[in-house]
Amino acid sequence: MSDKDQAEEKLAKISTGLIQYSPEGLVPFGPVHPALKEPEYFKIILEGEKIVQVIPRIGYAHRGIERALQDRNWIQAIYLVERICGICSFSHSLAFVQTVESLTELEIPRRARYIRLIIAELERIHSHLLWLGLVGYWTGFDTLFMWIWRDRERVLDLIELITGNRVHKSYATITGVRRDLPENIERHIQPAMKYLSDRVKFYKEIINSEATILIRTKGIGWVSPDVAVRLCPVGPLLRCMGFKRDVRTDDPYAAYDEIVPDVKTSTDSDVHSLLNLRLDEIEDSIRMVLEAITSIPTGQVKSSIPRAIPRGDAMGHVEAPRGELFYFVRSEGGNKPVRVKIRTPTLANILTATEMLKGHTLADVPVVLTGMDPCFGCMDRLTIIDIGEGKRWQINGEELRRYGIEWYNKNR
Amino acid sequence: MINWIFQLLVFPGLTFFVWIAFAFEWLERKTAAKIQSRVGPLTAGPKGFLQPVADYFKLIFKEEIIPRNSDKFVFLFGPPLYFSVPAIGAAFIPILGEKGVLSHSYDLLFILFIMAFSVLMASMLGYAAGGRYSTISIGRLVLQYTSYEVPLILSILAPALLARGLSLSKIVSSQISHWHVFYAPISFAVFLIVSLAELEKPPFDIPSAKTEIVAGWMTEFSGRPLAYIKLTKNLNYVFLSSLATTLFLGGPLLPIDVQDEFLKTILFLLVFLIKTFSVGFLIFIIKSALARIKIEQATSLLWVITTPLSFLQLLLIVLFR
Repeated sequence: MSDKDQAEEKLAKISTGLIQYSPEGLVPFGPVHPALKEPEYFKIILEGEKIVQVIPRIGYAHRGIERALQDRNWIQAIYLVERICGICSFSHSLAFVQTVESLTELEIPRRARYIRLIIAELERIHSHLLWLGLVGYWTGFDTLFMWIWRDRERVLDLIELITGNRVHKSYATITGVRRDLPENIERHIQPAMKYLSDRVKFYKEIINSEATILIRTKGIGWVSPDVAVRLCPVGPLLRCMGFKRDVRTDDPYAAYDEIVPDVKTSTDSDVHSLLNLRLDEIEDSIRMVLEAITSIPTGQVKSSIPRAIPRGDAMGHVEAPRGELFYFVRSEGGNKPVRVKIRTPTLANILTATEMLKGHTLADVPVVLTGMDPCFGCMDRLTIIDIGEGKRWQINGEELRRYGIEWYNKNR
Repeated sequence: MINWIFQLLVFPGLTFFVWIAFAFEWLERKTAAKIQSRVGPLTAGPKGFLQPVADYFKLIFKEEIIPRNSDKFVFLFGPPLYFSVPAIGAAFIPILGEKGVLSHSYDLLFILFIMAFSVLMASMLGYAAGGRYSTISIGRLVLQYTSYEVPLILSILAPALLARGLSLSKIVSSQISHWHVFYAPISFAVFLIVSLAELEKPPFDIPSAKTEIVAGWMTEFSGRPLAYIKLTKNLNYVFLSSLATTLFLGGPLLPIDVQDEFLKTILFLLVFLIKTFSVGFLIFIIKSALARIKIEQATSLLWVITTPLSFLQLLLIVLFR
């Protein structure tokens, strides 16, 4: 280490260690905080400005969707699972639909598989652009935030043109998709994709040259791959640690066996490499959408949908923009699912993100914590922890209701 | 005497500066909106010009929430005192002639004192409000102040050296043929950087970084105290821009000689306003194109880069003048 580096490190140590906070050094981050789009609480223990420990406490956006799915039939369930997430709503419905389809012997038309790929990739572009804009917001670079979100409107317009909705697409259905593509859709897609690929090149230039962005993201949030593997991250967070894992190539669904994604990895595993990785993924998605729209086969987009699904258990997964999205569905032959279990990418990533924060300063919290592109609304679940007895268990709605009635009878 | 009080309180003193402060906020919001391809304030007044005024009066009539563990006296009466700091400072700025309303022969030192006092008031307010976000913010604010005070004083010293005097009127009158910005460009740049730090604007908006510590030391304030604080921040903006104009850009002086007294005053005012708004505009553009840095990066930037640069400028002036 050179003298200059040593001097700078000493300066950093003095400048961050000078500030002494409340004795226990605890700073609440959330549940309501400008950096978080959704309610979630992180206890941050500080020493000066240095972070010693981050304790996530989840559950503020729990909506009981898994239980509510048990009261709906197979078609109604598709629209409810979409409401889990406002950003990757198509990934949720796609994962659910594919899991249900694997219980049946149904043939999915080839055209429908291509359309599913197009929508999934458009959604990936829009989700990654949303995250990139928010990185600008979290680092205080509001101009970048506004520019990227303006460009994101182009993708949302395309999605609206194809599916009829901007956010909750209501497009996937068992055995295919609900509507065919509008006529001459390539006339809208091609110029929009050209515009976006130009803009992505421009943003890549900004991110790799703008000094304030570089010092805020380079080397920030580094975690050693050994630790990371133990904590099981998924999606871009895993890929930026150098692991080539992507459901689209590992277990192809939709038309990913014919239009093969080029899975990018990085070895830096910091926030800056996440930025570059996501921009690369957008470029790859643009390529795939253009390829799919030129080689799309003709034919049906869905076949007749059965009322009842045969008895059995099924597991399915898709690569949502944030990583592997996992569904488990149990059917007992009726017109309703008996149990649906959902594991969203944010739940898999949250421990890695808190691990990434250790040793950094409070100023890094928004960038690192949200570097995994969190979606807390997707993630929350109800787990009861009895601290006194050290027990933990999960509870369903009926038990909770009975417990409430018993508690009031006893304590009134 | 009445004339003097009128000058101090109405024109070119307090009321005049408050209106420029509102105009500055409007220009800031409009510029940022144009750069970010938005429309910005639109409905209140022509092109939304009265939006800052409307926001101010809205805050005045809002409920005041006083935290239980706050120091109530400082919490309620601190903000007007905080407001008075740049308001007094503004009275030293020469606008209609070579002398300000409160001008005296060592007023540059008083200006430096006022800038330090402004930070002291801010930290007092933050501590009075209590709360963890405020505490962190005050730590960062004081740390940032200790880092930028030295470059600030050194950069202000350059025009004082060039003018051989410590009064603003002497600095202004020495620029009648050449502006100091041509002899001390490095000091001017350092002064702009330091202004960003004093105003808590990107890349130095560390004490009020909203994605980290909500609103920093202003988090607990609401209603009238918050209205005073917001107005003070805008007034600080005007104060620093007009100070840059006075120190480096020749203040209100004209390149030509005008005989008619009334016409001369009007021209002085116009020249001063154009220069001040240009400096403000420059600051708006710089702040729109940058991301926030971290406190240790700010400390090292201000100590390692700007301080030696301002020394270099002073050395150059001493050697060549």
